[in-house]
Parts: sequence; structure tokens; C-alpha cells
Amino acid sequence: MYRKFRASGDFYIPAIELIDVKIGYGNEMILKGVNLKVYPGEKVAIMGRSGSGKTTLLKTISGLLKPFKGSVRIFGRDLYQERFLNGKIAYIPQNIGLINSANVLYNVLLARASLKPINFLLNIWSRRDQKDAMDVLDIVKLRDKFLSKVEKLSGGEKQRVAIARALYQGADILLADEPVSNLDLETAAEVLNVITEVSQKGIAIVAVMHDIQLTHKYFDKIYILEKGVLREKN
Amino acid sequence: MRILTTSFLIAILFMAILNFFDIEIWIKAAYNLVSFIKILGVKYSLLNEALFVVWETFVMAIFGVSLGTIFAYLLAPVATPIITATIVSMPLRIIANMVRAIPAIFWAILFVILLGPGPRAGALALAVYTSGYLIKFFYESLESSDKDLVDTLKVMGLKRFTLAFAVYASVKKQIISHIFFMLEYNVRSAAIIGFVGAGGVGYYILQYISLLDYQATVTYILVTMALVISIDVLSYLVRSRI
Repeated sequence: MYRKFRASGDFYIPAIELIDVKIGYGNEMILKGVNLKVYPGEKVAIMGRSGSGKTTLLKTISGLLKPFKGSVRIFGRDLYQERFLNGKIAYIPQNIGLINSANVLYNVLLARASLKPINFLLNIWSRRDQKDAMDVLDIVKLRDKFLSKVEKLSGGEKQRVAIARALYQGADILLADEPVSNLDLETAAEVLNVITEVSQKGIAIVAVMHDIQLTHKYFDKIYILEKGVLREKN
Repeated sequence: MRILTTSFLIAILFMAILNFFDIEIWIKAAYNLVSFIKILGVKYSLLNEALFVVWETFVMAIFGVSLGTIFAYLLAPVATPIITATIVSMPLRIIANMVRAIPAIFWAILFVILLGPGPRAGALALAVYTSGYLIKFFYESLESSDKDLVDTLKVMGLKRFTLAFAVYASVKKQIISHIFFMLEYNVRSAAIIGFVGAGGVGYYILQYISLLDYQATVTYILVTMALVISIDVLSYLVRSRI
């Protein structure tokens, strides 16, 4: 369902490669030449002060924002020539981006809407699709809540639904904007364990993080975004 | 509070301009009201006829809303820049504005000319008018949806109608509320468009008013009111179950 590790030949191609990316709003430059490489299965945390451009960086990688200069490559292919690369990237924004009034299963199945538009429009899914959705809910330990409305879930559960959706989408890259910022320590650890499990399937993770201890414990690399420039933290 | 104060001051100013402070007007109005109430009443013998006519009105309203909803549901995503390019969405918005700017009664006159008098003309008039309104309501609902959700869906690869239907799912309550509002609005509009021969309760109300038969008029108005209230209750029940 979701891809395991990519073919070994591909492994040297970064999942994400940012080359001298510059972006801004009006006259104000937010990213002033950002370079970044993230390989499949790698977990990268982006840290920095509020307003330093962390969300802008994630939106640039996701294809939602186009840089003035520089390029964003996804598995070696230019992102802006192949809009969103047919769902290779999953993006979890700060307020998670789920349909709160719908149930968990609907939110997960939504990830295949672009591949199976007729099924989505009629809301009729094959047994295989439903089984796959239940399997990813198993991974995030939400199988029992597949019919619960998202608005009734806790913050940690919502994050896990979003992660399940990314898995169901078959994404190779998961971008998460502050996935644990509003969660207590125990729930945050649960979510980060799921993210670790996801990365072990070969999915590249880029997450905006605040908590330094959790970040050190769960991420392979930490980058600091400061004054529009990204530097790796030793 | 500032909105309330400003509204109050404007109301007072216009009451003065419209001579509302002349006490004689109010005394005369009270006298007229008492004489009017004396001649009011309900003609129970007309109840069956009124129920049938209101049913016809309801059918017109339902048809208008159903057809209007189909058009609006498909066109509203094309009229919003969050889903469709501005160069396409803006002209469609202007067309929808134009449709809405023409009152239902003018659409009714047009369809009476085209199809002849009767509920068929009224139903089509209501459908056109409803489309104009619902397109606006629907694209505003789409635009009020969570921006992060729209971003997530775009990154997932959803576009055009798949994107629109996913965003619709997130604003389902609002959409249903708008549809019920238009159903209720159409029942009231159907009462007016009947004046120009487009069927419905309006035609009968006009006839009874011109005959100065206020009791018959009241009977028709009460049955129409009962229908409007029932729609409102139904709307509440449906929305509370979503």
C-alpha cells in the first residue's frame, strides 16, 4: 500500500532538495537562500523563533508557495513543473487540516480522492480501499474510532488521523507544522513515536518543532531557521 | 455597542424626517387597527382549498430549490478563486450577481410570457432566482472554510471538483442551512409571484384582497405561515442531526 524503502539506486537522490530558495511577501524577504537536503526515511526538525519563516518553508516544500529564486526538487524532479507530484507529499498544517464534522474513516479515504475521484464523489469505496484505510488506522492505533467524528477526538488523536491519512495517501514525504505543540508530554511522545514508525517505512519527515528535548530525542537532524537562513544545529 | 448606537441615531433621525413623531398619526393608526381586527377572522370553509394551494406553492418552492441547488452546487466552486482561477471565477460572480439583482417577480413575468400563466412558470422563476442566491451563499461558505484544510487538500493532489466536494463536506451544515433558508424564502416569494399569474398562493391572496374578503386572505396567510414555520422546524431538526 505505502511504499517501503525506495529502490536502493534512488536512495542517493534526496527526497527533498532545496537549492538557494528565496521567498518573501512584498518587499520583506522571509527565506534568504535556504539550502536543505532530506533523504528518504530521515527525520528533520526545523526550529526557530515565531515569525522566522518555518511555516513558509514547509509551504514552499509542499508546493503551496513558489519561491522567487532557487529550486525545490522532490526526488530530483522540479516541484513546480509537476504540481504537487500526484500526492507524493502530505502536509499537516498547524491546525491539522481535517474535516471536523466528518468521521475518521472519511478523512482517511479522502487521501485517495485525486486517484479515485468517482469513488470519492459517490462516497462508495471498494473493500480493498476500506481495508487499506483500516490498516493505516491500525498503525496509528485508531482502528476503534474509525466512525467517530473528528471534532470529538483529542488533539493527539487528530494528529494521528492526519498521519494515517498521509500513510493512506502513499506519500513519500510528510511535512508537519508543529505536530505536538498543543499536546501534553505523554501525548506528544505518542505522536512522535508514530512519526518515527512512519519514517521507518522510508518516508522523509520534516517537522516544525519547539520542544528542544523532544526534538533531540526523536529527530535525526535539527535545523535552525534564523534571519531567513537555515543552519544545521550541532 | 458602537453599531447599536449608530443604528439608534440613524433610526431617530429618519423617524423625524418621516414625521413619525406626529402623535395624530398613531392615534389614527390605532383606530384603524381596531376596526381592521374586527373584520378579521378565519374562513374554515376555505381551509381545504387553502391547503391545496399552499401545497402547490410548496411544490413550486421545492422544485425551485432543487434545481437551484444543482446549478449552484456545481457553479459555486467555479465562482471562487480558492478553487478556480480568478479570470474565470470573477465573470461568473458578476453573472450570478446580475441574476440575483433581478427580483423573482420579474423572472416570473418573463416565464409567464414564455410558458403562459401557472405554477410551471413560477417554479422556473424560483429556480433561476434561487441559483443566483445559492451560488453566492455556496461560494461564501467555501471561502469561509478552514484555509489550512484547503492547503492540505491541494497538497494531497485534489483539484477542481474533487477539491470542491471535499471542501463542501467541511461546510455541510452551512450548505444545508442555506438550502432550507432558500426553501423558506421561496415559499414567501411564491406568494408574491402569484400576483403576476405564476401560480401559487399569491394569485389567490390577490384575488381575495381585491374582493375585500379579508377573512379568506387571513386563512391563506395563516396556512402559508404554518408551512414556513414547519420548514424552519424541519431545517433545525435536519441540521441538529448532522
